[in-house]
Amino acid sequence: MTAQNASGALLTATALHKTYGATAALAGADFAIRPGEIVAVMGPSGSGKSTLLHCLAGIVTPDSGTVFYRGHELSGMSDAERSALRRGEFGFVFQFGQLVPELTCTENVALPLRLAGVERKAAEARARTWLERLEVDDVRHHRPGQVSGGQGQRVAVARALVGSPRVVFADEPTGALDSLNGERVMELLSEAARETKAAVVLVTHESRVAAYSDREVVVRDGKAQDLAGLAGAA
Amino acid sequence: MRGQWLRELGMGVRFAATGGRSGWTRTLLTAVGVGFGVAVLLLAASVPTALQNAEARKDARQPDNVFSGSVEPAGPGTLLMEWGNTTYRDLGIYGKHVQADGDPADAVRPPGVARLPRPGEMVVSPALRELLDSSEGALLAERFGDARIVGTIAPEGLKGPGELAYYLGADNLDTSKGWRVTGFGSTGGERPLDAALVLLLVVMITVFLAPIVVFIATAVRFGGERRDQRLAALRLVGADVSMTRRVAAGEVLFGTLLGVVTGFALFLAGRQLAEHVTISQISVYAADLTPVWWLTLLVMTAVPVVAIVVTVAALHGVSIGPLGVFRAGTTRRRRVWWRGTALVLGVAVLLYFGSTVRDGRVNQWGVAAGVLLMLAGVTALLPWAVERVVSRMNGGPLAWQLATRRLQLNSGMAARAVSGVTVAVAGAVALHMLFSAVEVQQTKEVGRESLRDRVEASADIEDAAEFEPFVQRYARTEGVESAYGWLGSYATVDAEPDANGYLPGTGVRVADCRTLRELFAVGTCADGDAFLVESPHVPEADVRPGDRLNLAEIPEEPDGPRPEPVWWTVPEDARTLSDTYAEAGYFVGVVATPGALDASRLAELSAGAVLETAPGDADALEHVRNTAGLREFQERAQPLGGTVFTSEFVTIRNALFVGALVVMLVIAASMVVSTLEQLRERRRQLSVLVAFGTRRGTLGASVLWQTAVPVVLGLVLASAGGTGLGVLLLDMLGAQVTDWLAFLPLAGAGLGMIVLVTLASLPMLWRLMRPDGLRTE
Repeated sequence: MTAQNASGALLTATALHKTYGATAALAGADFAIRPGEIVAVMGPSGSGKSTLLHCLAGIVTPDSGTVFYRGHELSGMSDAERSALRRGEFGFVFQFGQLVPELTCTENVALPLRLAGVERKAAEARARTWLERLEVDDVRHHRPGQVSGGQGQRVAVARALVGSPRVVFADEPTGALDSLNGERVMELLSEAARETKAAVVLVTHESRVAAYSDREVVVRDGKAQDLAGLAGAA
Repeated sequence: MRGQWLRELGMGVRFAATGGRSGWTRTLLTAVGVGFGVAVLLLAASVPTALQNAEARKDARQPDNVFSGSVEPAGPGTLLMEWGNTTYRDLGIYGKHVQADGDPADAVRPPGVARLPRPGEMVVSPALRELLDSSEGALLAERFGDARIVGTIAPEGLKGPGELAYYLGADNLDTSKGWRVTGFGSTGGERPLDAALVLLLVVMITVFLAPIVVFIATAVRFGGERRDQRLAALRLVGADVSMTRRVAAGEVLFGTLLGVVTGFALFLAGRQLAEHVTISQISVYAADLTPVWWLTLLVMTAVPVVAIVVTVAALHGVSIGPLGVFRAGTTRRRRVWWRGTALVLGVAVLLYFGSTVRDGRVNQWGVAAGVLLMLAGVTALLPWAVERVVSRMNGGPLAWQLATRRLQLNSGMAARAVSGVTVAVAGAVALHMLFSAVEVQQTKEVGRESLRDRVEASADIEDAAEFEPFVQRYARTEGVESAYGWLGSYATVDAEPDANGYLPGTGVRVADCRTLRELFAVGTCADGDAFLVESPHVPEADVRPGDRLNLAEIPEEPDGPRPEPVWWTVPEDARTLSDTYAEAGYFVGVVATPGALDASRLAELSAGAVLETAPGDADALEHVRNTAGLREFQERAQPLGGTVFTSEFVTIRNALFVGALVVMLVIAASMVVSTLEQLRERRRQLSVLVAFGTRRGTLGASVLWQTAVPVVLGLVLASAGGTGLGVLLLDMLGAQVTDWLAFLPLAGAGLGMIVLVTLASLPMLWRLMRPDGLRTE
């Protein structure tokens, strides 16, 4: 019996291995997340947190191990299928450098919708509601280079949520922000995720950020230790 | 103060030299780019020397008294010489028949000829020897009969290494068709370059050097963004704005100086290769490719100065602070007035100096300045036009939006790269229009369409009895399907002499009705008929029916002894004809059937035969030329019709196309480098877009649009500007525009360039569309 159907998990990973050259980024990591759940992936720098997130999102293919999303194994999908999955089901927030500099904030938020084929005006109208919700409507015509770090990160959160994803992957979303801005971004992200019932995989090394999660998974030396024992229970 | 400046420049040099692999890559890119530009500039700086040396060698082999008109007495060292130029396929061959009056060992020798060839011997240029030895030259070898090659003409007797030339020993030369030569070396009688030709050369040099300067300016900006980040780090540790500019100047100076050295190396290597290349019968010796010293000095100093100016000017658009590089959020709107002013000034200058060209005088500097101003104006309008057009672009598919937004943010870089294309295309369009006009003019003169595949052979004969064997000789020549013969001479009209004492004259030809029907389309014709042939192109004395003509030999001097007149009256019923043969300027005057005019009454007879060859049989013409032989002043054959350009025009036209192609490739290469660099700089954003599930096609299309928008705008501007320039230049020559669509092939080449740049960028784009860019550790 596999982890995904045993626990009713939305996304599960089992025995993931991934090496970059001689460095083992993941060495048998397990992970699972339920719909609407916020899970913090914690660990020291270089422990393999981001690699785990990339494997879960289908951005990186693990050397071995499996990742199941709603019963479908990601490694069995083609690159185009995984791209389509990311377009339709997932949202992303990164630490920095994620907004397209030449597009306005509205256009950046509308980007996932446009990639999914939504007509421009409709996409931008929906983007506008998310910008309002994340309190950055006033910079909607600005380009990323013209807004502050906190504002930019809220725009990124809006972009991650605009497509109503089932899973949001957030890699150190507050890493480049001061504590006040970081707190606000996390409040808005977690509130919005709970409202839309999106699961959030939150990679962070800060406890106060992890405090917004329902559960914590610690990655150390490429192995994930599920503190609540969800993956282990499988 | 100066020491500090030097220290800062040195720091920049160190950054460029010790910047690790990526630093060296950028420095090498700059060096190769600048090097290529410098090599081309040095090549251009060598053109005057190459022309001068080739011209000097050409003068040195001219017989000294060829233009004096007097006949020298024979002496032990004198040499009889007769012209023997010939053509094989499209290749012109320089040739002379030589015969020593005394002992050949004592006779004067043309430069480059170590031993004078004796009868049955010849000395040839290395290129002609190669051609004669090859299967390609087999037909030509027949023309030289049994002549044995006994030597090779040395470089001092040739215009270039690829020139086809020979000296053929003879034993039957005299001064009636040739010259007695006492020495070599003449500067007299040289035909100055045609005004149109000078104009073309001026425009070409201007057109092709401008993109090289643009290219150098682009090359020194390679790696500009990474450099700006390095400068920000310097600001953090206390460098002020001026200091960072000097460091930047030092950094670019290193790459540029390396480029100047590379340029010299490329030039020296290319110089050796140049000897082996013959384009359109133009070839140069390596030694001739010596840059003019002051132009070399100019290149060596101007290139680094341009590099520094471009770098410092580019830094004005960014604010380098200790916390990073900030590009001006709202870029200053580009002004149109000064860009338009350059264009208007250029037009005005061309109009002003253009009025003198029709008189055959070309103010080269004036025309060059006008062309340069006009091209600079068109090029300067490009960034403004790109900015205006892209700022209005809204909506569209995602790939289009990504491209146009990117251009809206910074259209300058793309416009700068494309400006080289704009200059080249605008110039090439203008030149193409000039060529088309010249082509049409010449085609009209030779009546190409109706006279295709006809060859005319002619020779001076002593007696009318030689006529029939002459025609039969050609009629039997391989490839000739039919021959139409005529006998010709010249007559004076019984009228008052002109102010110089010369009587008006006219050509006279005697031929049967079969020939007249074929050549002049006379319609009904019977033996005993005579006709008057007119041509709008050839000004000749009007001859009217009933005029009395003197058929006797015409004295060379007006006051010389006159032979007894031989009178013949043009029949009153002579009809006037105007046909393609006449329109082409081949003959104007009186044509008569033998029944109307007995050919034996004519003096100074010439025999002619118009030969029809099998359509498409290129060898037929060569067979006819072989029949005519190599004594061009005695007997000659030339095709009627076909595209006849002077060799200079052919050469320039070929150079134009090769040049335009090279410029486009150079600019395409610089655009590929810029695009790749831009993609590298955006590695992380590309990775994020991939994480979202962006399709490859979307990003590929955005690269395509990003290249296409400025290039298409550049092409539109270039086509309009080039057509305008072409109209102005044609107006200078008093010619009509014959090809309004001259821009189409070049615009097509430009579109090909877009595809090329995009395709060359895609592998890097695919490589960057990997998740590695997301890794931060």
